[in-house]
Amino acid sequence: MSMATSGSLQTKHMDSAASGEEPVGRSAFHLSARNVTVRFGQVVALDGFTADIPRGTVGLLGPNGAGKSTFIKASLGLLQPEGGSIQVGGLDAQSQSLQIRDNVGYMPEHDCLLSSVNAVEFVSFLAQISGMTPRDSMQRSHEVLDFVGIGEERYRLIRSYSTGMKQKVKLAQAIVHDPALLFLDEPTSGMDPQGREEMLDLVRKISASEKTVIVSSHILQEVERVCDYIVIISNGKLIRAGETLALVAGEEGVQSLTVRGDSRAITGYVQALGEVCEIMERGEEGDRQVSLLVRGCGNGKAVFQLASENGVQIRNYRPERLDLEEVFLRSFKGGAKNGD
Amino acid sequence: MGISPIQYRPWKGERSAQNLRVYVILRSVFRHGLRSTGVKILIILGFFLVFAFQLLFVATSPHERLEADEMNSNLNGVVLAIFAMLLAAVVTSDLISEDLSSSSFVLYFSRALKARDYLAGKAGGALLVMSLLCAIPPLLIAVVATVTQSGDDYWYSVTVIGRTALAGTLATVFFVPFGLMMSSFTRKRSYAAVGTFMSFFVLTIIAEVFVEFAPEWRVISPIESLAFAFDWTFGQTLPVYMDKGVLATFLALFIVLPAIVVYFKITRQAVGK
Repeated sequence: MSMATSGSLQTKHMDSAASGEEPVGRSAFHLSARNVTVRFGQVVALDGFTADIPRGTVGLLGPNGAGKSTFIKASLGLLQPEGGSIQVGGLDAQSQSLQIRDNVGYMPEHDCLLSSVNAVEFVSFLAQISGMTPRDSMQRSHEVLDFVGIGEERYRLIRSYSTGMKQKVKLAQAIVHDPALLFLDEPTSGMDPQGREEMLDLVRKISASEKTVIVSSHILQEVERVCDYIVIISNGKLIRAGETLALVAGEEGVQSLTVRGDSRAITGYVQALGEVCEIMERGEEGDRQVSLLVRGCGNGKAVFQLASENGVQIRNYRPERLDLEEVFLRSFKGGAKNGD
Repeated sequence: MGISPIQYRPWKGERSAQNLRVYVILRSVFRHGLRSTGVKILIILGFFLVFAFQLLFVATSPHERLEADEMNSNLNGVVLAIFAMLLAAVVTSDLISEDLSSSSFVLYFSRALKARDYLAGKAGGALLVMSLLCAIPPLLIAVVATVTQSGDDYWYSVTVIGRTALAGTLATVFFVPFGLMMSSFTRKRSYAAVGTFMSFFVLTIIAEVFVEFAPEWRVISPIESLAFAFDWTFGQTLPVYMDKGVLATFLALFIVLPAIVVYFKITRQAVGK
């Protein structure tokens, strides 16, 4: 990497990569936004957005038009916020955008490939724009195209590529200069299930090399599988942020309970249970089974005792665990605690 | 991913060519230009129609020295101006429009590339291609004429070579900024190419119409103003109605104004406005 562009972002990257030490703590390397406001005419894309994004693989979630891509572009200095500031690896996104961009890889959501060249020419050209010599760029282009799984097709014109191959070339150009920070905007967009699997596998492998990878997506299952930190945005504002495990762990003291029995017994059981615990949610699963979300049941002894007294079977009793979709939906209802 | 999946390998080398970004873009544009059949045809045809006979003539016929008025007449013709216009339209048409239509623009500017460097690389590549028709052949003629001259007034010949270089540079530069500007206005290269050529063509027609009322109107024709500029460069007398200040202003308008427009357009585009 260039020694000319000194910045904490690069220094940190080089230090950890060169020494082979354990990655530095999350708090040591992050991207932070403070009251960022970006408008496009009357539309407010980011509305006082404030967030701290730590090192690691971070999922940027939100519905379409939430402000994810706008935040990425503002972090690269490609958009001028009306107010607020963004720091990337200790550098200001507006006044030091060139230093930031020198150490950032960006895979845009939309099509951005030149169709009249082949993948080797394209990736190599962008590597040279990133400051590599022609010889290094050619060698590295082949290396990253091997990595993303573009074989002999790399010598075909890009216009003949499938959507999946184009996505891989977009990823290859983003990592060709080995950036410390990688923005992946909808990396699996338009890909088939197998292609998605391959792309997620690539993201995991890149993440393992001590980079900060920010994955913007609205496909929650994918984000849950690859990201260890989640930031949820809606209407240009931060809704929730936290470790993925903490977010999906659910609220402390909340248990998921599944009960089976005849309907009269279940009714009696739920009524009795309601007197010792707080029943937060009830879901019918046919005539003979209900699932409950309960809080304040202590060690659970009463749950089993009441089941025995009412003649119902406990099929499942465990701490609540959510999937990211649930977290996402609850975030918009404001029904769960922050995972931080 | 195969039996032995390939892991991500960090880059261990140094990025030592940070300051060569302009050159990388310039080289890419130049190579792309030379691969274009249209560009090759225009350069070869233009060379044979405008310069080939002159080159043969100066190489074979006896002459005392290189004369400024002869070099001026070599360059100062409608044929070269039209070929230069066509070549500029073809070369510049896709320089920015293709990046806009493919959105590869965002890939350039997600890297540490300044809008200024991007434009310098694009313009530099286009100018190099243009020079193959507009600057190098006349310089070649001038050098051959000097080498084969029978007289010993080499100093005068060298000054004419200098004037030829200046005129060749002017012919090279004259149409490129406007072509770049048109290319930045559209995502379709055909629109940019036709727009560039037609703009010059329309200005020429307007000049022809208004010249009936006052001969000074010739200056708004790109072909005529370039011809006057050649006369001026080679020390020839300008027509009485043509003021040097007005001519210089129009030359600047043709070259500098489009360059400023395209610079601000790209800068705004690069920061997402």
